[in-house]
Amino acid sequence: MLKSMIYKEWLKIRWFLIGAAVAGLLVIAYMYMNTQRSITFGGASSVWYNIMFLNRMFYKILKYIPLLIGLGIGVAQYFPETVNKRIKLTFHLPILENKALLMMLGFGTASLLATYLLHFVVFWLLSSSYFGYEITNAALITITPWFLAGLAAYFFVALIVLEPIWMYRIFYSFAAIAFVPLYLNSGMAGAYAPINIQLVLLTLLISVSMLFSAYRFRKGEM
Amino acid sequence: MKNISRYNLIFVTIIALSVILPWMFWLSFEKPISSPYVMYSCVDDCFMIRGYENGTSVYSNEFGKTFTREEFEQKLPLLNFRQLMISKTLPDTIKGVEMDPHLVNSAGSFYRYKPEDKNSPKPGLYPMIESKSGRAKLEMPKDFFRIASRMEFIIADGNKLDEQKSVLFTEALQAKGFKFPAKMIEGLPTTRKSCDEGYFVVDNADQLFQVKMVQGQPYVKWIDIPKGLTFKYISCVDFRNKLYYCYLIGHDNSIFIITQDDYELERLPIEGFNSENQELRISSDLFNYNVIMLGENFTKVVALDDNRRKVAEYNQTWTKRALRPEGKAFSFLFPAEINLTDKYNSFINFYFHPTKGFNWLILHIILLISQFIIIRRRKANPKNHVVDFGIVLITGLFGFLAVNIFPNKFFD
Repeated sequence: MLKSMIYKEWLKIRWFLIGAAVAGLLVIAYMYMNTQRSITFGGASSVWYNIMFLNRMFYKILKYIPLLIGLGIGVAQYFPETVNKRIKLTFHLPILENKALLMMLGFGTASLLATYLLHFVVFWLLSSSYFGYEITNAALITITPWFLAGLAAYFFVALIVLEPIWMYRIFYSFAAIAFVPLYLNSGMAGAYAPINIQLVLLTLLISVSMLFSAYRFRKGEM
Repeated sequence: MKNISRYNLIFVTIIALSVILPWMFWLSFEKPISSPYVMYSCVDDCFMIRGYENGTSVYSNEFGKTFTREEFEQKLPLLNFRQLMISKTLPDTIKGVEMDPHLVNSAGSFYRYKPEDKNSPKPGLYPMIESKSGRAKLEMPKDFFRIASRMEFIIADGNKLDEQKSVLFTEALQAKGFKFPAKMIEGLPTTRKSCDEGYFVVDNADQLFQVKMVQGQPYVKWIDIPKGLTFKYISCVDFRNKLYYCYLIGHDNSIFIITQDDYELERLPIEGFNSENQELRISSDLFNYNVIMLGENFTKVVALDDNRRKVAEYNQTWTKRALRPEGKAFSFLFPAEINLTDKYNSFINFYFHPTKGFNWLILHIILLISQFIIIRRRKANPKNHVVDFGIVLITGLFGFLAVNIFPNKFFD
């Protein structure tokens, strides 16, 4: 049964997931094509200097991409469950309700992490080929919270979409709007170094948040 | 599990609200305080102060005597040199020294330190500019260096290691007793300066060196500093008078300079400076150094003579933000605030600032009673909501909003 459920989740998000993975790769490719052009026209040392001493982030264009992917996959996966309250069908399966929900969440999270990992590794490899590890390290520290923001957005979408009462959906949205910007503060490259571990922990804390609204759904909150 | 998910959500919401709500409060209600501008007058040998009252500048001296703007400018002739030349009120001599524009210009300098300069991510790679290229202008090199287990030069084009140059510089450092890796590398990594003096580097044994490149060859100078003295920040300068290379801040917040050419470490007679939360401004002219330390609610200004001996000191305080009307209102609303950014630090972090006093307790008790009424109206058993009551009592408005955004109906 689990296999069938995973297949159902795959059917819901597959096109968006593939599209997001490709779009992310295209953005990264564009970013490095742009960097290559700057190197060709201005010289590599000038590009390195601008990154290190003038805080020019060549990867700034990437900032909201993981967030959009997280939001998109969340909506693609959970919105169909609310149409005619289809999620109820899942709750009628001969499987523990929380287990079914966690399976859905686990599949979505794993898909998202796989996409992010692909983008992160490609970014890392390309950056390492162009720049010294000091520049790459600072870049990775800077982009890590952007990917965490995408995960947080995905968890909040699950929470909000499965919530049965509109008023609470709005309240949860306010909480999400207050929380997600913590990952997206502007600063110098590498400025997030002291806080990335705490942000990972906070993201882990909200990872199971959809169980809360799903429970309210099951209890028939109207 | 559902309980865990709820409390997790409440926790992150409290964190988010304790960032957002205080930020919105200060954005709406904070009133700026303009710190006074204090300079030592070489004419009257006293401090001159430009303060602000009701949006207008007030010019006075440290004894409270007020002046017009023009009179004030004449008391600080070296600071307002150009203005006094235009208005033809510049004296021919001051203290017997002829007012020669070239002389005045070359003696003038200004340096500013902010704690965030020290507390910020460091690039880790630096350009080693050729100090004696024979060219009129300095040129940016094609490579950057790091000092880790050895000194390495990385050619930017192709991200390749320049092994020969790396070995050359590493051996030059080793010959002078340098202990790898470097703890601190500070210089002026720009070509927009009058000349290049390379970098001041603290090694792993807290020794201080100057490292530069002269006609392609390494120049390493070991600098004699007292045993046990360690630095937490070095800031290189490029002043016209060429009296010293850099300012150094010791771990005990003492301020030093290293004199040009003879590399003498000289401690400035400045007391009470805290490099973690005070700004430092040092300006100089023909006769004096004016050292301003600027804290959250005070300024301390020390005047030094041209031999850097202390001649006068001025202190002024003003009301802290927390004690101003908006700060008092804040203390009734919020038990604490979390800032992601800090004016003393360039790193992003959860900077937790508890509110002094317990004024917020009044609101917390009102919110606790409100929460109790909400629970009773829901005809729920208050005993099942003790944790929520505790959250509201401790975190106040943040917790009250969080527990009601994510209501506890599991035990109703």
